[in-house]
Amino acid sequence: MIGIIEALINGILMGSIYGLTAVGLTLIFGVMKVINFAHGSILMVGMFAAYWFVILTGWNPYLAILIVVPLLFYFGYFMQSWIIKPIFEAEKDVREPITVIIVTTGIWYVLDNLALMIFGAEFRVAKTTVSGKIVEFYDMYFLLPKIIGAGITIACGIYLYWFLKHSKMGKAIRATSLDREAASLMGIRQSNIYNIAFGLGSACCGMAACVLVPFYYVYPTVGVPFDIKAFIIVVLGGLGSIPGAILGGVIIGIIENVGAQFMAATWTELLLYGVFLFVLLVKPSGLFGLKQDF
Amino acid sequence: MKKYLNQNPVVLKLTILLLAALFLLPLVVTSPTLMQIFILVILYAYFTSTWNFVGGFAGVLPLGHAAFVGIGAYTSTVLLQTYGLSPWIGMIVGGILASIVGVIIGIRTLKLRGAYFALATIAIGEGIRVLFENVKEVGPFKINGPSGISIPLSENSFTAFQFDTKAPYYYIILIMLLVVLLLTYFMMNSKIGYYLAAGGEEPEAAEALGIKVSRYKVIAMAISCFLTALGGTFYAQLMLYFYPKSILGLDLSYEIAFIALIGGRGTILGPVLGALLLRPVSELTRIYIGDMLPGLHLVIFGLILIVVMRYYPKGLVVPVKILFNRHIIDRFSKQDPSNGITSTDKAD
Repeated sequence: MIGIIEALINGILMGSIYGLTAVGLTLIFGVMKVINFAHGSILMVGMFAAYWFVILTGWNPYLAILIVVPLLFYFGYFMQSWIIKPIFEAEKDVREPITVIIVTTGIWYVLDNLALMIFGAEFRVAKTTVSGKIVEFYDMYFLLPKIIGAGITIACGIYLYWFLKHSKMGKAIRATSLDREAASLMGIRQSNIYNIAFGLGSACCGMAACVLVPFYYVYPTVGVPFDIKAFIIVVLGGLGSIPGAILGGVIIGIIENVGAQFMAATWTELLLYGVFLFVLLVKPSGLFGLKQDF
Repeated sequence: MKKYLNQNPVVLKLTILLLAALFLLPLVVTSPTLMQIFILVILYAYFTSTWNFVGGFAGVLPLGHAAFVGIGAYTSTVLLQTYGLSPWIGMIVGGILASIVGVIIGIRTLKLRGAYFALATIAIGEGIRVLFENVKEVGPFKINGPSGISIPLSENSFTAFQFDTKAPYYYIILIMLLVVLLLTYFMMNSKIGYYLAAGGEEPEAAEALGIKVSRYKVIAMAISCFLTALGGTFYAQLMLYFYPKSILGLDLSYEIAFIALIGGRGTILGPVLGALLLRPVSELTRIYIGDMLPGLHLVIFGLILIVVMRYYPKGLVVPVKILFNRHIIDRFSKQDPSNGITSTDKAD
């Protein structure tokens, strides 16, 4: 019994980090109606940046947030304004910008394989001051960096929610995602909103990357499992919904960790795909999805 | 039939010449390595052409076609191992299985936004890979998990689908490709083709006109999965060894999609053009600099994809067609100006 509670809590901790990557994905989708297939690769870029920060400076790994998050914000910002924008504009009247999806898969392949060429395929671990520290709580054991990571991501999620609800820029982003033309008529510059949405989505990845580095392996294709989990989460929570993404992340984390108590880890992966297909076939709008979005 | 032969005579003559050259190629090329590259180019052209039925005509983006390649390869191989069934029969069984799986996925997801379909196909593809990596055997069938299956060598015969030389493989895949290209041509000029074209551009408008768009998309999906699985059996018999990562992985799914997109989806010759341009790139980089810079060919693929999508979103078939018309058709049909460019839209 205690094992299951431990797994449940571990699932919530890990799930909130999954949730943050999914929030980035769902934010970009909400605004642009584009699934960013390069999302996991952006996470990978963030993880390598945080890894090298820790290795080169030897400082506290959470200080990397101050550098990696802005870095990834501008990475996403310029990726959108240089590469995606011209393609997006060519087909902005189309119901679904499929060429943009294709281009983001192209970016995924370029980034992942560039990392493979530069850093090689080996799995790297950053030895930091918090790595491997264990917290005991009523006979249950948790990794300290996981707890810190979950705390940071939850705070980040709450801030982002507040930002979108109440700040001027947040309101502009929500207006654009509801109705592009109407938002445009109100004087909101769309291309700017797209750049910022892409930047924010990437910054979420940067944040997740920084909290992952103290306890997770870094390797060139690390983005792929996170990418696929983020896809599953956003569909589960409803494409475009931020609370849905966080809740979906927690659900996926719990399924993965509790499932691992009963079966081999490779089978839990299959369980996730099963859940995904079930949601897709039974309720494609997900938990909080809007009807117009599917 | 007359309608289909009513092409520009220059194009017709060139096509006949090209076909003759393709069929005579094994007489000239004797190196097995070179032959293998030709076979792989044609095999990838085959895969992308079958992908094209969904990805090109139904206007959605399937990113898990490796699943169907794998289903084809595994089905024929386990049937051969367990019951000694000829791969030719196993091929058909695998094709039917693949199209059943494809219809189950498609029936629900093809009604949704394309993004959902793309995500669903990735999940199915990866899910099937994980399944095959975890399962050692299903009833009497041995799958062997991640270590894969090797097909026992047998004598050189047509029924066993094993040959000493590369030439028979070459002819088989060439004929398979030509059949698929003909099917594509007939489909484009049939009712289904028109319905799909209408549904791909404006699903709501097409539905309003009474076309059941999603039904035709499901039909296209079934055809595509069936044909892809046939290619999977061919791959298994050509390589005689395969494992889940090689045949069911995301990389294969993506390579198929990338080749079609770069060449030009929704056209007959686009996928062939894409395979012709990109397969040699990946073979050559793998042979010459593969060890030094792993993944280089995928970086090149990705960059080409981004650039092509930026300047020719409809694929490289568009500029190639323009060049072809300008330099070849115009030069050779000067004597007869009535045969203008209008009748040369073979690539459409």
